[in-house]
Amino acid sequence: MENIKLIVNFLGQLLPAINITLIVSLSSIILGSLLGLLLAAARLSQSVILRVLAGIYVSVIRATPSIIMIFLVYYGMPLLFNGWFHTNIDGWNRMYFVIIALTLLFSAPVSEIMRSAYESISKGQMEAGLLVGMSPFQTFYRIILPQAFVVALPNFANSVVNLLKEGALTFTIGVVDMVSKAQMIVANNSGGYAWQTYCALALIYWVISLAIDKGVSLVEKSYQKKRKTIAV
Amino acid sequence: MSLDTDFMVKVAYTAIHGVPVTLKIVLVALLISLPIGVLFALIRIYRIKVLEQFVKFYVSLIRGTPIIAQILIVYSAFPSLLNTIIGKAAFDINPIYYAYIVFTLNSIATLTEVFRSALQTVDKGQMEAGLMVGMKPRQTFWRIIFPQALISALPNIANATLYLIKNSSLAFIMSVKDITAIAKTEAAFNYNFLEAYLVVWVYYLIICYCAEVIFYLLERYFSKYRRPTKKTTGFNWLPFSIKQPEIEAKTDLTESERTNHAQN
Amino acid sequence: MLKIEGLKKSYAGNDILKGISINVNKGDVISIIGPSGSGKTTLLRTITTLEEANGGHISFAGVDNDFQKLNGKDIHTIRRNIGFVFQNYNLFNNKTALQNITEGLIVARKVKKSEAEKIALKALERVGLTDRQNHYPSQLSGGQQQRVGIARAIALNPQVIFFDEPTSALDPELVGEVLKVMQDLANSGTTMVVVTHQMNFARDVSNRVIFMADGYIVEQGSPKKIFENPSEERTKTFLTDILANV
Ligand SMILES: Nc1ncnc2c1ncn2[C@@H]1O[C@H](COP(=O)(O)OP(=O)(O)OP(=O)(O)O)[C@@H](O)[C@H]1O
Ligand SMILES: [Mg+2]
Repeated sequence: MENIKLIVNFLGQLLPAINITLIVSLSSIILGSLLGLLLAAARLSQSVILRVLAGIYVSVIRATPSIIMIFLVYYGMPLLFNGWFHTNIDGWNRMYFVIIALTLLFSAPVSEIMRSAYESISKGQMEAGLLVGMSPFQTFYRIILPQAFVVALPNFANSVVNLLKEGALTFTIGVVDMVSKAQMIVANNSGGYAWQTYCALALIYWVISLAIDKGVSLVEKSYQKKRKTIAV
Repeated sequence: MSLDTDFMVKVAYTAIHGVPVTLKIVLVALLISLPIGVLFALIRIYRIKVLEQFVKFYVSLIRGTPIIAQILIVYSAFPSLLNTIIGKAAFDINPIYYAYIVFTLNSIATLTEVFRSALQTVDKGQMEAGLMVGMKPRQTFWRIIFPQALISALPNIANATLYLIKNSSLAFIMSVKDITAIAKTEAAFNYNFLEAYLVVWVYYLIICYCAEVIFYLLERYFSKYRRPTKKTTGFNWLPFSIKQPEIEAKTDLTESERTNHAQN
Repeated sequence: MLKIEGLKKSYAGNDILKGISINVNKGDVISIIGPSGSGKTTLLRTITTLEEANGGHISFAGVDNDFQKLNGKDIHTIRRNIGFVFQNYNLFNNKTALQNITEGLIVARKVKKSEAEKIALKALERVGLTDRQNHYPSQLSGGQQQRVGIARAIALNPQVIFFDEPTSALDPELVGEVLKVMQDLANSGTTMVVVTHQMNFARDVSNRVIFMADGYIVEQGSPKKIFENPSEERTKTFLTDILANV
């Protein structure tokens, strides 16, 4: 009982920092999806070089720990910018580095998801679309995209949840997000109530993850309903 | 820009001592969580009362929270917990044990889902055929169903292992002297962090690719009886999340078998 | 030898078997025919307790009990003495043809491995597949898989073998080889209960035909009687329809 009260109290102290988590996650989702789209296009393209490069990129990312990616971006980008563009980006908000790192990480699985969704749909559908006289673009936009979206949605949501969890490493380069807030609270209490604080932290993430999941299954259900009404 | 290559070589030499630490964490976590994952998957599939709810809750909780939060909880809760049991000695425990605990707890959740879906891919006719040649449900399970499920689970076990290897790079937060921790310490003298982490990165790439090759060979070795149509190549990023697909658990056994099975 | 009385089975309130009584004597080759959904598969599965019955009595192989009172030992005895050939073969995918047959012998019957292999080879010989003993199911055609399935059943030397539409998952050109094996078995005196849509088999090979519809046995008798002079209207319509479609 005592513990529950403590956890609720800590929840209140942690929640204000949630906006950092949300900003980082949302930006990375958008940017990562765009990059993922390019990668998927590269992997589906005619050019062997593009396909190979995109393939290597995806497999390297798959073997890269998130924390290492964040560190590499954080320590490497300023050097790159200095060397290539002679600009100093040391003053950048550190959040940007996390967003870039997460974008790079997120784009790889997303490109795979997009690619396999596209491949699972496109074959017969493209031909069918062209046969009834639509242009390739129309067929893609009106026929393939909506179906591919439904196929990709659950996997995409999984990747989003992963991204959210990887985002919890933001604190490692000194951004004051919920994790670092929690550490501060523990420090202020001279190490006391540590596990209660961290439980509050975990709870917040859990709720967000569950909410994402719930949202996805709602969308899926509504799509299934649509399908049924069309079929009848 | 230029990298301090001499320093990188030096880090490469010192950080290599962290490789066995990482491998130890990965192996211990895998070896403990594989059988428990099977057990938990069985609890879900056979709908064992109460335990099923616990497993569901556990998997959802672990997969819905960041590993860093799990690390912080275990690292802060366990020492004081142990303190009340074994006294002051608790604070002298090698932190690698905390790493074992966290990563095992985490892998159990992933592998539970891996085995659950793998067991569901085995046709229920396999169990029936086993029963009809006179084998007991348990014998059929271990001799027929489980080997098939294990092989179809291999790609996902590979994914889970990769996931585990990558996560283990966070062990330094528990002051475990792994690759990252050693490199970090080296870099702190002259602020050569980029060089240090590049080395660490290369180590992780090598470890991950080795793991992939091992699993690829395992898959190839064991897939001799599988239909060529069932391709399992390609990445599957799925098992890393909390999403638990509610495939209506195929009743692999009839009600009576299920109780028989539970009794055996 | 196998006697079933008043067997009942329902799924979620739907009565599928509404009191079935069957008597199988040694050496019988019984064909069960009937429209799709009439409960033929369910009948075989409830007798072998792959599905739980909701009522009825069985006397077989020393078991003499109500279905609902069967204990683990009874169930084991029943299954031990019935061989089952599945519609979709259900060979153990992770075992070779030979291992598929030896598995039950070694694990359930505690036969020595060398002995089991001898028995298995003999069974494979009977179905003409000695040369495929080391193939995995995925490397065999449907017809070959089903013949291994039959070999697996006969190797255990059961008192009776149940066949559930053993040829209906097969490509038409593979049906013959399986039927041939079954005919040989029948000729050698094996007791068989065969659910089938192959009217030729029912007419030419079996000594008794059972016509089922809607969970009842509508009529049974010699093939001659059922095919040439059925006494029930339903049997007549069924046979006219199915023979018209051949
Ligand atoms: N597991 C089950 N749950 C609910 N209903 C079932 C189940 N198995 C069978 N049924 C129903 O029981 C009825 C009889 O099925 P059964 O498979 O025994 O028919 P059948 O005579 O073998 O038909 P077929 O010739 O098509 O194989 C069907 O209406 C079927 O829908
Ligand atoms: Mg049937």
